[in-house]
Amino acid sequence: MTTILGVPSAVLYGQLLLGLINGAFYAMLSLGLAVIFGMMNIVNFAHGAQYMIGAMGAWLLLNYLGVGYWWALILAPLIVGAISIVIEVLLLRRLYKLDHLYGMLLTFGLALMVQGAFSNWFGSSGQPYTIPQALMGGRNLGFMFLPNYRAWVIVTSVVICLGTWYVIERTKLGAYLRAATENPMLVQAFGIRVPRMITLTYGAGVALAALAGVLAAPVYQVSPLMGADLLIVVFAVVVIGGMGSIMGAIVTGFLVGIVEGLTKAFYPEASTTVVFVVMAVVLLIRPAGLFGSKLEAAQGQPQSGLSATAPSMRTQTLIFLALACCLAAAPLVVYPGFMMKAMIFALFACAFNLVAGYGRLVSFGHSMFLGSAGYVCGHAAKIWGLSPELAILAGTATAAMLGLVTGWLAIRRSGIYFAMVTLAFAQMVYFVALQARFTGGEDGLQAVPRGMLFGLIDLSQPANLYGFVLVIFLGGFFLIMRLVGSPFGRVLKAISDHDVRAQSLGFETNRYKLVAFVLSAALAGLAGSTKAIVSQLASLTDVHWSMSGEVLLMTFLGGVGTLYGPLVGAFIVVAMQNYLAAFGQWVTVIHGLIFVLCVLAFRRGIVGELIELWHRLRRTPPAASAALREVVVAPQE
Amino acid sequence: MSESLAVCDLQAWYGESKVLHGMDFSVRAGEVVTLLGRNGAGKTTTLKAIMGLLDKRSGSIALDGHELIGAAPYDIARKGIAFCPEERGIFASLSVRENLLLPPKVAAGGMTVAQILTLFPNLKERLDSQGTKLSGGEQQMLALGRILHTGARILLLDEPTEGLAPMIIRQIGRTITELKALGFTILLVEQNVGFAAGLADRHYIMELGRVVEEIPGAAFEGRLGALKSYLGL
Repeated sequence: MTTILGVPSAVLYGQLLLGLINGAFYAMLSLGLAVIFGMMNIVNFAHGAQYMIGAMGAWLLLNYLGVGYWWALILAPLIVGAISIVIEVLLLRRLYKLDHLYGMLLTFGLALMVQGAFSNWFGSSGQPYTIPQALMGGRNLGFMFLPNYRAWVIVTSVVICLGTWYVIERTKLGAYLRAATENPMLVQAFGIRVPRMITLTYGAGVALAALAGVLAAPVYQVSPLMGADLLIVVFAVVVIGGMGSIMGAIVTGFLVGIVEGLTKAFYPEASTTVVFVVMAVVLLIRPAGLFGSKLEAAQGQPQSGLSATAPSMRTQTLIFLALACCLAAAPLVVYPGFMMKAMIFALFACAFNLVAGYGRLVSFGHSMFLGSAGYVCGHAAKIWGLSPELAILAGTATAAMLGLVTGWLAIRRSGIYFAMVTLAFAQMVYFVALQARFTGGEDGLQAVPRGMLFGLIDLSQPANLYGFVLVIFLGGFFLIMRLVGSPFGRVLKAISDHDVRAQSLGFETNRYKLVAFVLSAALAGLAGSTKAIVSQLASLTDVHWSMSGEVLLMTFLGGVGTLYGPLVGAFIVVAMQNYLAAFGQWVTVIHGLIFVLCVLAFRRGIVGELIELWHRLRRTPPAASAALREVVVAPQE
Repeated sequence: MSESLAVCDLQAWYGESKVLHGMDFSVRAGEVVTLLGRNGAGKTTTLKAIMGLLDKRSGSIALDGHELIGAAPYDIARKGIAFCPEERGIFASLSVRENLLLPPKVAAGGMTVAQILTLFPNLKERLDSQGTKLSGGEQQMLALGRILHTGARILLLDEPTEGLAPMIIRQIGRTITELKALGFTILLVEQNVGFAAGLADRHYIMELGRVVEEIPGAAFEGRLGALKSYLGL
């Protein structure tokens, strides 16, 4: 048998073929994402779910209606496209003038709802879908065996990608699309119905994802979560390629697939993480992406901020003391296990809020800090036999280091790109945790000893453990409270309001962002380490992307950028998990629904809305303010 | 002559701030009319309000008796009004040819590409360049040429001479005269009083979102003193 660099050539070609197939799907999905983003300024987080609906749709059509592959290839994209048009008209249309992140959050919520519902109905295990009769079998190319279906997927996707490219770059319709991407107002003033065009573009982009889903059905297992993990890789592809160019999306998609295939042949252990490594390298060398022309500000309109000023030092101290008393007394009425879990998550959410709320760097990858710290802390306590305080310290330090490295790379981009980059890094950490020996893989690290705190206090005593968690939470919270009120916190806020303006005042904004990110990572790590000690378990759940989604949910529900919002949000979400546990996957659907409602109806979150209401009640009567508004303002040219 | 565009008590807002406080003016078919005024008087806003490009506007804008308040920008354009924005709005991702052919035909009788290229010969050799690679003057010609193709009879031109060399300004002036001879109705926003003086049938002076004076073209020289005080020249 011939070998190439020590790898049998058959294996190499096989992996290359697989890489091409994967690349075909990356290309089709990132193409749709790029088109949608160009027109609507929305990163369609539901793209993976829509791809999944395409595949599931084909499976459903076959198993329930007896509709075969070829019809599914037409019907599924049409149906999914039609549904997405309804979504655009009813929901997304309201978000165009807001920050890009809201679109991302809303579509993330939709994705959660769809994936949760499908998991509920069909279970999360994969379903096989047979290759259509006409494409069975394969042919021998001499150097390798090429299954017909795989050849069909590659050829079809290349045709679709090039067709899309042609339509956008070379036709009149494409000229409208490109023009509307640049200056939608002016294009409207020429007599073109831009809103309708946007709706149809979203429909077409999503239909493309669904079509990819149908194509994928016979290749991969059809399952409700098949799109979620794929989408994260596609995000990495988008960051590598840059969203500016259609051809860039296509080429990068195939390229990444091939790189993945080659890695699988030569060094299989790294095949799941190589994409993210490539992304990190590209961020270092060309932050705008291989085909990106410039670094987009990608900030959109400023957030509907709180007009409220922070309460005085004394009020804050009083509230903090009251909070401490309530939490200390809570075990008398509430199950202590619930309280401890809620406090840990509250600390996690407050840490997240430090960057997302005050720094406006919304990270989609905070689970990596929670999870990795948990593993290191668990390992230190269990294997190395360290005392709990040292184990927690080790975990926290690990998270801080991870924060330093990922933050250093991620702050090169802002807005939605920052979200995508952090998400991709978190996925990389997840794969490492899944494969590394010391994490215990799927089982996780179990039976982590609680041990003796400082060699004196036995943490296996419930009261001691509760007190320990309480002190850690209050300490972390107090630190965040003081940070936010400090000059550092104010500079951070100024940077999040207007980065360039802060720079022109002489602040080295990237350094501030990095420090905030590392602090946030360390505090999230503190929460993760404590969690490992309390629950005596470090598992994959804590590094999974859904955990990042959960902390986002807590923070947004409670009120992003408010001190107590994440705390309130964390308690609500943990309570929901505890008391709605019987509903299984429906909890995910409820989470998604809350995201959607938050983005549409109350973007300030519970605490934020309460503060706003409080200030509105105390303000001057509405008649006076209306009169003020009538005052002539110098008109704009 | 019939009143082509009749604007009555037009008010408009950018978000919360009110910018137009009751504009009254009209443009008759075949006329060239200018809006003159200082920076911030609301001239550009008036054009944008006519095109429906603002969030909020009230009052009345009648095109040959049809009310335009409440219509969407794309519908207003379809009624035969074309807009050439101050910043020219040449699309970077489109070639010159694509830019030229972008606005859809809204009525029969628009100029052919050949006619437009005769009017602006500079564009002929640049048809395949990227739109924004053109010089400022060429971009202005492209922005003008682009709306002549559509068949629209009413042209709203926002400071077509801004930032251009005197020679090009003269060329644009000649073009506007030619367009008038061809029967186009033109509403021109200008800061360059000298340029406007030679072209227009009538002038409206704007201040703080209102029309404060109407000056017939013939009386322009005589009113120059008053005009200077309005415009702060």
